Amino acid sequence: MGCAEDYSAAELMAVFLSRDLRDGEMAHLGANQPVPRAAVLLAHLTHAPNMKVSQSLTLANLIDVPRPVPYSEFFTDWRRARWAESYRLGHEVFADVKRFADFFFLGGIQIDRFGNVNLIGTGTDYRRLDFRGPGSGAAAMASTFCPRYYLVAGDHNKRLLVDKVDFISAFGFGDGGREARNALGLPGGGPKYLVTPLCVMDFEPETKRMRLASLHPGVALEQVLENTSFDPVLPENIPTTAAPTSEELAVLRGRIDPQGTLRRG
Amino acid sequence: MQHPRRREVIVSEAQAASWITDGMTIAIGGLLSSSHPMALIRQIIRQGVKGLTVLAGSAGLELDLLIAAGCVDKVAVSLMTGEAVVAVGPMFRAAAQSGRLQVWEAEESIYAAGLQAAALGLPFMPCRAGVGTSLPRINPDLKEFRDPIKGEPLLAVPALRADVAILHADRSDPYGNVQHEGTGFGDRALFRAADKVIVQVEKIVTNEEIRRRPEATSIPGADAVVRAPLGAHPGSCPGRYLEDLAHMKEYADAAKEAGGKGNDGKLASYLERYVLGITNHLEYLDVIGAGRLLSLQEF
Repeated sequence: MGCAEDYSAAELMAVFLSRDLRDGEMAHLGANQPVPRAAVLLAHLTHAPNMKVSQSLTLANLIDVPRPVPYSEFFTDWRRARWAESYRLGHEVFADVKRFADFFFLGGIQIDRFGNVNLIGTGTDYRRLDFRGPGSGAAAMASTFCPRYYLVAGDHNKRLLVDKVDFISAFGFGDGGREARNALGLPGGGPKYLVTPLCVMDFEPETKRMRLASLHPGVALEQVLENTSFDPVLPENIPTTAAPTSEELAVLRGRIDPQGTLRRG
Repeated sequence: MQHPRRREVIVSEAQAASWITDGMTIAIGGLLSSSHPMALIRQIIRQGVKGLTVLAGSAGLELDLLIAAGCVDKVAVSLMTGEAVVAVGPMFRAAAQSGRLQVWEAEESIYAAGLQAAALGLPFMPCRAGVGTSLPRINPDLKEFRDPIKGEPLLAVPALRADVAILHADRSDPYGNVQHEGTGFGDRALFRAADKVIVQVEKIVTNEEIRRRPEATSIPGADAVVRAPLGAHPGSCPGRYLEDLAHMKEYADAAKEAGGKGNDGKLASYLERYVLGITNHLEYLDVIGAGRLLSLQEF
């Protein structure tokens, strides 16, 4: 397989995530998530023909549709429901937690070294927040029950990647430790990776601290450390994130993202 | 003896909105940028209702507009975003940060649990989502407890009951048999959690048309129905029209100046032009214009 030379960080992130998604899984796509959308559709169209995609409160297999659903700014864009095989009623989504999804994607206004995510706001006094965030959405439910999920960051900076979040919307591994989730009776597996424009992090199995899993091609370790508020666990040898193949990029650009959303900014 | 006549429930938006008075709890249907009962919301603003508690769930700019107009004291919310237009509603943000607006911090499944408790006539529903998060600390109505069966940590979510739910749907017959196009989002849950429900619809249809597809009837018995074609504008309505991105930006720009910089001139003009300076929904559609409205229906 050929290796593509020219691609954006967002395309690389989508390709990395797509390789971790398996055939037969149910994917949940939230609002305004261009990288996860591309990752799910790329996996679906290349190696996961039996995937089901949950978006805009509909479920569909998209393998044989003439045109995959276009990227849209709006979760509720009716065009995203075009290929629905079934509807999911708002309250019913929460009445069948084991079939919510096999995985989902989560961003945040703060993400900490144990993978906890804050969407509520920043500040010390909840009644007088310095910065009011959008709120938790379905993050508590999805992070409680999903077998795994992916933290996806549009930017890699110290404001986002903090030592400890001010408020927890989605409990990752709390204050750390292998038993952090079991102690609270949380059935899901917690976050698997954090993917940013600079690197991929995973979680060290014993402490559940974030650990650098790979640096994207051309990114120096110092760049990651300078832009992260905590010290990630560093493995002895730090691998490089595998570049997209030309085949992957062809599907991505030809069928999934012809508008070039992932190549802009 | 005269044959008794079945009661019709179609009313004007002003009659419907007059049910909503100062200090009530209302629930608003729709999701994010779609299917909010905007014609009713604009009428509530025109009527100058104050001190509302709003069950808003995962809300969009409809909630921001109600806050901007000074109608809201408290809001139960799981998400408040204008999505690509603006990450967080500017007036919501400003009012929450200043403490003027009381936020009942929720999350979607916690919100759903509260509505379900109300529908079931229970004081609370147990909920696992939220365990380990900050939600019970910042929302003291959510009580952490040990379940009496297995001893696991759970949250008790109190019933979220509304005096009136206001919804937007595709169609209804004159008797309040309402059908949504698409999923209907969480509207059925609001119907069950509210004492009364007002539904504005794109179209009034005959009772025969409802009987052709009874399985599509999502709200079997609205207390009032308001005719409001294009009534979710500037949001979208499944099967009918898409979001009006330009109009949403116009609102968001005005709200950003008012919320962020304290300059509410543009926001006052917005409210005057699109809400206060007109008397009903059909006049609103005239202000938006046929060209713009028709373009949203082609997709």
